Amino acid sequence: MKKYILLLLLGSFTVGCTDLEEKPVGLIDPATYYNNTSELQAAVNGSYGLMSAEKYWGRALTLTLLLRSDMCDIGNTATNVERREVNNFSVNDNNGLITPLWQQSYSIIGAANQAIDGSKKITGDQAKINAIVAEAYFYRAFAYYNLVRLFGSIPYIDFAVKDILTVSTISKTAEAEVYKKIIADLEFAKLWLPNKATVKAKPSKGTAAAYLSSLYLTLGNFPKAYDEAKYVITNEAAFGLGLETDYQDLFNSAKALSLKEPLFTIDYTNIELGDQGRDFQGFLTGIDLDKTYAWGGGFSVAVPSLKVYNSWDQRDYRRAVSFDTVMRATATSAPIPYTAFTSAIAPKRPHIAKYQRLAGPAGLNGRTSSNNYATMRYAEVLLTAAEALNEVSPGTAEANGYLNRILTRARNKAGKIVSYPPNVAIGLSQSDFRKAVLEQRRLELAFEFGRWFDIKRLKIGVEAFGATGYEPQSKFDVSKHYYFPFPAIDITRNPNLAPNNPF
Amino acid sequence: MLTNQKIKVAKWYLLGLFILAGTIVNAQQRKITGKITSSTDSMGLPGANVIVKGTSTGVSSDIDGSYSIVISDNKTVLVFNYVGYATKEIPVGDSNVINISLSLGVGSLEEVVVVGYGTRKKSDMTGSVSKVKTSELTAYPVLSSEQALQGRAAGVNVQSNNGGEPGAPVKIRIRGGNSINASGDALIVVDGFVGASMPAPEDVASMDILKDASATAIYGSRGSNGVILVTSKKGKSGKTTIEFSNSTSTQQVNNDLDLLNTDQFYNYYKNILPTYKRGTANTDWQSEIYRPGFVSNTQLSFSGGTDAIKYYVSGNYFNQQGVIINSGLERYTMLSNLDATITSKLKVGLNFFKSHIANNGIISQTNSGGTGSAGVVSSAYRFVPDLGIYDTAGVYTLNTVGDVIDNPYATAVENVNDRINDANRINFYAAYDIVKGLEFKTTFGLSSETNQYGKYQPSTVVAAKALKGIGSIFNSSQTTIISENYLTYKTDLWIGKFTALGGYSYQKNEFESSTAAASGFVTDSFSYHNLGGGAIPIKPQSNATTSELASLFGRINYDIKEKYLFTFTGRRDGSSSFSKNYKYGFFPSGAIGWNVNKESFLENSETISNLKLRASYGLTGNPSIAPYETLAKYSDIYASSGDISVNAVVPTNFANDNLKWETTYQWNFGLDLGLFTGRINLSVDYYMSETKDLLFSKPLPSYIGIPNPVQTQNIGELENKGLEFSLNTKNIISDSFIWSTDFNIAFNKNKILKLPDNNADVRYATAPASFLQPDSQVLRVGQPVGAFYGYIYDGVIQTPRTNLTSFTGFEIAPGGENFRDVNGDNILNSSDKTIIGDPNPDFILGFNNDFKYKNFDMNIFFQGSVGGDILSYTLLELASGTANATTDALNAWTTTNTDTDVPSAKVRTKFISSRFVYDASYIRLKNISVGYNLPKDFVTRIGLSRARFYVSAQNLWTLTKYPGADPEVNYLNNSNQNSNRNLGLDYGSYPNIESITLGFNLTF
Repeated sequence: MKKYILLLLLGSFTVGCTDLEEKPVGLIDPATYYNNTSELQAAVNGSYGLMSAEKYWGRALTLTLLLRSDMCDIGNTATNVERREVNNFSVNDNNGLITPLWQQSYSIIGAANQAIDGSKKITGDQAKINAIVAEAYFYRAFAYYNLVRLFGSIPYIDFAVKDILTVSTISKTAEAEVYKKIIADLEFAKLWLPNKATVKAKPSKGTAAAYLSSLYLTLGNFPKAYDEAKYVITNEAAFGLGLETDYQDLFNSAKALSLKEPLFTIDYTNIELGDQGRDFQGFLTGIDLDKTYAWGGGFSVAVPSLKVYNSWDQRDYRRAVSFDTVMRATATSAPIPYTAFTSAIAPKRPHIAKYQRLAGPAGLNGRTSSNNYATMRYAEVLLTAAEALNEVSPGTAEANGYLNRILTRARNKAGKIVSYPPNVAIGLSQSDFRKAVLEQRRLELAFEFGRWFDIKRLKIGVEAFGATGYEPQSKFDVSKHYYFPFPAIDITRNPNLAPNNPF
Repeated sequence: MLTNQKIKVAKWYLLGLFILAGTIVNAQQRKITGKITSSTDSMGLPGANVIVKGTSTGVSSDIDGSYSIVISDNKTVLVFNYVGYATKEIPVGDSNVINISLSLGVGSLEEVVVVGYGTRKKSDMTGSVSKVKTSELTAYPVLSSEQALQGRAAGVNVQSNNGGEPGAPVKIRIRGGNSINASGDALIVVDGFVGASMPAPEDVASMDILKDASATAIYGSRGSNGVILVTSKKGKSGKTTIEFSNSTSTQQVNNDLDLLNTDQFYNYYKNILPTYKRGTANTDWQSEIYRPGFVSNTQLSFSGGTDAIKYYVSGNYFNQQGVIINSGLERYTMLSNLDATITSKLKVGLNFFKSHIANNGIISQTNSGGTGSAGVVSSAYRFVPDLGIYDTAGVYTLNTVGDVIDNPYATAVENVNDRINDANRINFYAAYDIVKGLEFKTTFGLSSETNQYGKYQPSTVVAAKALKGIGSIFNSSQTTIISENYLTYKTDLWIGKFTALGGYSYQKNEFESSTAAASGFVTDSFSYHNLGGGAIPIKPQSNATTSELASLFGRINYDIKEKYLFTFTGRRDGSSSFSKNYKYGFFPSGAIGWNVNKESFLENSETISNLKLRASYGLTGNPSIAPYETLAKYSDIYASSGDISVNAVVPTNFANDNLKWETTYQWNFGLDLGLFTGRINLSVDYYMSETKDLLFSKPLPSYIGIPNPVQTQNIGELENKGLEFSLNTKNIISDSFIWSTDFNIAFNKNKILKLPDNNADVRYATAPASFLQPDSQVLRVGQPVGAFYGYIYDGVIQTPRTNLTSFTGFEIAPGGENFRDVNGDNILNSSDKTIIGDPNPDFILGFNNDFKYKNFDMNIFFQGSVGGDILSYTLLELASGTANATTDALNAWTTTNTDTDVPSAKVRTKFISSRFVYDASYIRLKNISVGYNLPKDFVTRIGLSRARFYVSAQNLWTLTKYPGADPEVNYLNNSNQNSNRNLGLDYGSYPNIESITLGFNLTF
């Protein structure tokens, strides 16, 4: 009998021996990561992957840039207040678009910082390691470049945060200083990236140089802007760049992988997992209740003013590519012109077509599209070269040539060569040429999220939002509105970040 | 860890027990038999307790009142008690037959209360415990025992999360919410198995709800939300009892919304869209999706045994056809309890439980409501009335206003939502009396639970049309191993009785889940049963976690002359999920009780039969730290490069070495009063609890560099104060008529004391995604959890609001929504949002009346919740101009109808405002039933010992001012955090139901 009791005791006590130590499965412990270049590549890809989230390119950043510009207004007047506030210059320091884009920018940067830090743990061919980590340098530069243009002086972090306390009282870095650090990252990227990346979703030497040219243009350093752009143009073939023959192809998801024009793309594949892979561009810009496309209409949130459409020469093929002017009640029914749109929320105006027309396969309303967005196209490099050269030495045939390449391509109307738009006139004054370049930037790159940065860079807000502008906005205040306020909650947590930008 | 060696030992352990089971009953023992009757009518008292004094050994009488108990010597004293009757103690002496007659009176005092790892006489209790009896749990048919608790115990708030949905999750809060982000659910212990799922109500003998720290501290880090101890039915020695019961209910929706018909809708909508083309139908969508529901509940049980072996075996089948088309549920359960007395010293037992629940669901309470994603109920409200189910081409119609959604009929019948839950549990115990007064008990339990959720959206619905069907299966399994060993020692010590308990507990949980999904099906007939048939696979996912809990626990009771009672309890819990620096937590408590009525000055009082004062203080914990949550972590994300999915990892977590459990510090002061020999019993409890170290997702600086920049830290503090009354009265007791009443009411006040970021407001958004509205609620110091946050609605604008200098997004013209410029800066913006409602009820109550007249019995049970608010997203959506509307729209503002609080017909931003905050108070006639017991001589003649037939009605009447469908709502309660802070939200909930039930119980 006693024996059994003893067994009982023994049996039950031995079942419960534990040291309470966790041995997780299916997780990555950062302390034991970074053993080889493929682990490094996955960390680098993390930084890139975060760009295709709804909180960045999928909506928050792109919609902000679109609405802030004079090329796109609010469509559905009952849409979220945060969107209307971005559009009409009344954002406060707790805006539902600005807060996520600010935070996601730093997630992209944080992931890049981790990869850059982790690369130091890997031994082996340093050139190979550098070529991979150079991508992370570019992603960090790309995110900071957008941030500094939106917010000016910002907290600048270029190390892997492991302990929260190391950044909880950080101060802002001055705007000019941030630009210097971005230049350094882009220079590293330019040095180590390959001439031609395997896919356009990865940056190459040309990408880094093109972003340097854009950055110098922003700073008004025209000689350097020209040099960098020229470097890209000179190596056009080696870098696998060029202009597409048909402008529409740039916005055709089926052709995205074969394009040579993009310098860098953010890829969507009609797959979303959580916030990742979410693309709301078609959803935001498409026509409410339109049944033209298999995935349904959009929500008419961001719709250009009628003036943008009416002032655009109707002979310009690029206008036809950029706009949808009709909707359909069923896929096969007769088109309804924009003047007779039948939705309670869609304004009676042509809608943006670039992200909805050939976005498929796509989810409902064009969500989770198959678009690959070019963050910069070769056309922009040509325009940058032309603009910078005109500032350095006006009246060159070289500058005219850059502009004419774009105009020539625009005359290819789906394979048929038309006469509009004509080449730029020879012998334009410096200021007329400057205007011509800017106008081509506005039209050629319409709705591609760069217009607001041009307005800010050239300080033309008063004119753009004045009574004769494309989108008059009475609240535009030149003393405040070239910067956005960042989330006030970060100042509450870290008073060293005060003051916030005027708003 | 279960190493090979340990498995070997465990094998010996089991083998040993089988051998023990074969040993013969000790020869010194002898059997006492007899019959327990009521002095009023000399009828046998079934289920009366016979206990050997000074031990926990005892039996219950059978259906005739007969009992049989084995005793070891002549000095034994038997204690006879029965609820509602005076307890008697009889020394055995030489008799072998003891018949006893009990008289009505001071009964409940001697009720035995189940406490953690033991039982106590109610009169010896120092903590706050409520007992719910089987008759209350089975008063009317419910799917789960949790539901049956509603209104039965003071301070226990029970709510369905989704109205009358078959299988809707049930939320239980004991003494308010003690947490904001961690689980607020009470710990459920079934027959000693910690964290088990409850058996069917018919198999439950009693539930004891431990409320104060003195009672719950024995469960340490898991005790702060209260503990519900469930005791399942056990066999009794004697003749085999067979019970068969069956009930059938018909159900219907208890309330519709008054919506516009086609004529009214057209007149309303042409103000919004003059070009609106009127459809030809006139459809009442609610009647298209609602139907009579049906519940059938059948239970068969066998129980009985000999002195050595007792058994209880039952099977239950529950079948419900929901009141919405295509919704229903089936449940099978089996429960078996075996108890064997092997020697006078050794007892073993085995408890088996198995349940299978298959739930065929429909979508309701969806939190999007945007294109193609509306739930069945919300779309029945929203969908235009001028369309039929099919268009002229025979295709399902789509909504023509607002977001494009399927019609409610299509949503209900086309989508497949199958949930299958299987639970298995085996729990073994052995108890051994080592020497007199010292008992050793060991339990070993094993449970597994699997869940499957299969979902298919066919190509006939908007969401899956372009993708040609989307199917998915989610599977999860959880295995729990529990081993507990403890010693109980009872002795007389100095001037009192001393009881000590000490033990060790080990529990291990292994959880695993996986999801597979695909789209692009050649046929919808595959449903989710052939995912390989989808052309487009969707990324599979899987996940596994393990956690361990190792604990030491103990309790000391010291009772002096049954007058002065002392209890000290403590538990030390170590959890693998806790952080590096806080692996172990200690949770002590202490309590005192004073039975004033045993003092000489009250001993002979005719009026006061019981007076006890109680006080307790203690610490309990809430361990809701997920496995691996405190470790630094990189996680994979979805990324594609060149349209090809690539490996991508990002930092997502920083190491958190100092994270620990939440601790609740609770005081409890109680008074128990019995008057007129127990005819009136009142219990009053006052408690104050403060929860510190609240687990909070502290927002990190948003530039910290991780996608979700938060870290769980111990930051906040929360307070609950409350007062509970329960009053049981036996109003009339006569030979032929008995009327008794149970009334309980509980007041609770919840207040946030401390928040992260120097007490900054924590705002959060719960409006359905398609509303596009930020921040609808706020956590603010000094306020209760879950306060609604929005604009104050001052009616309709009558004159243009020209004083406003800035008002982006707001209306200023007559006919618009007039929101108050709260801070008076002449700017209308989000700074004008303020607290617009408190969803926490001031008090909850239950009021039960039982009547017995000869062979008839009657039960009337009211349940209510008073003083909370509801924020109705449903009514907000219907007033937004992008949906059908309630008949309120007929009174909309126009230039000729200005005296109204309904704004003009217009598409409006769905601002969260006080316009849609309502009083959620309700009192409900939860059950009314009349039963009839066939005359005893008649039933005996047909071979039965008892036969009862009854008719009852549930939710027949509800008193409320809420204009929505039903005030008992819990939208978006799908996680720990959400179930604590989302209170009083209504959106497209499955409607509540009223039912009529016919049933019978037969005992053979």
